[in-house]
Amino acid sequence: MQQLFSAFGIDWRLLIAQAVNFGIVLIALRYFLYTPILTMLAKRQEMAAKGVADAERAARALAGADDEAARRVAAADAQAEEIVSLAREAGNAEKQRLLKETEERASAAARDAKMRAQEAAARLARESERDIVRLAVLAAEKILKKQYD
Amino acid sequence: MHEGIAVVLKAEQLGSVFGFPVTNSLVMAWIVMALLIGGAYLFGRSLAIVPGKLQAGIEWIFEGALEYMGEVLGSEALARRFFPLIASIFLFVAAINELEFFPGVGSLGIVHASQFFPLLRAPTTDLNFTLALAAISFFTIEITSIAVLGFFTYAGKYVNLKSPIGFAVGLIEFISNLGRLISFSFRLFGNIFAGEVLVMVAGFFLPYVLPAPLMGFEMFIGLIQALVFAMLTLFFIKLAIMDPHEAH
Repeated sequence: MQQLFSAFGIDWRLLIAQAVNFGIVLIALRYFLYTPILTMLAKRQEMAAKGVADAERAARALAGADDEAARRVAAADAQAEEIVSLAREAGNAEKQRLLKETEERASAAARDAKMRAQEAAARLARESERDIVRLAVLAAEKILKKQYD
Repeated sequence: MHEGIAVVLKAEQLGSVFGFPVTNSLVMAWIVMALLIGGAYLFGRSLAIVPGKLQAGIEWIFEGALEYMGEVLGSEALARRFFPLIASIFLFVAAINELEFFPGVGSLGIVHASQFFPLLRAPTTDLNFTLALAAISFFTIEITSIAVLGFFTYAGKYVNLKSPIGFAVGLIEFISNLGRLISFSFRLFGNIFAGEVLVMVAGFFLPYVLPAPLMGFEMFIGLIQALVFAMLTLFFIKLAIMDPHEAH
């Protein structure tokens, strides 16, 4: 056995030194390489998971927003219809009021015109009477004057 | 100096520090460690949330490896716990095996007493390194088994006094587990050392032509061997944490 060890140069001190060398490599690589890479992978996995969760949340929010938009549009439609209906009713009422007012004004104007016409006719009649009387007096004066001349 | 091919089975000692032998494989292990740790430090510092191509590629490999380990071990928590060990085995062995064929490794050296001593030698061609790695893998597997199964269930795998057959099976199991130490270390050592010798022989008989493609092939083998070592550790951990009755 000793010959075998000697032939292969087996020396327990070198054996331990090589084992220590490997131990140093193991510790150093673990510290400088494996841990940073595995941490980076975990971090990226976490970020990817967060990204997916965010995307799902955004999709849900978008779907919710669509529903909300549809709901609001429907409410706005209903409100608009109500407003239009109210406006139509108000317009009709205003139209009726204006028509009535116009009719009243027209009839008042007609009444007023008729009254003025009657007054004018009466006045003309009175003036005509006066003129006739004066003309009659003038005619009588002329006749009388002719007779006494 | 040597004329012809010189195959040296053990790592050459370059000197000693306070009586501690410093071999060329130890020096190369330190260089590979520095490169790996430096690279890891620079890469770890440059990580960004939005990755570049290199980062995306490495992260993809990490994620794939972790997912595969989770499938094999049947638990994500266990996969995360053993990932640093398995990944480090692969990276360290792969880096050594790939750098083995870089210029300077094995060719630069010192001549002492008319003998050439290369300054650098792949640690995977030194049994001290492969045996140390095998021992780490072996103890990790056995300690995990004790931690997961409990001491008595673990001991029951090897000591079964209910029947003679059970006793024999337990004994065989014990020997086969101990054999892992040998198979783990010699598989890696043998493959990489044989590759090095093959390239050396090819360079001797057909220089300038044959070594380059063979080096490419041996670099591929180096990757495969790193993967085999890491995967076997993973599979043995899986076997170790399974209930003995379930495992058979």
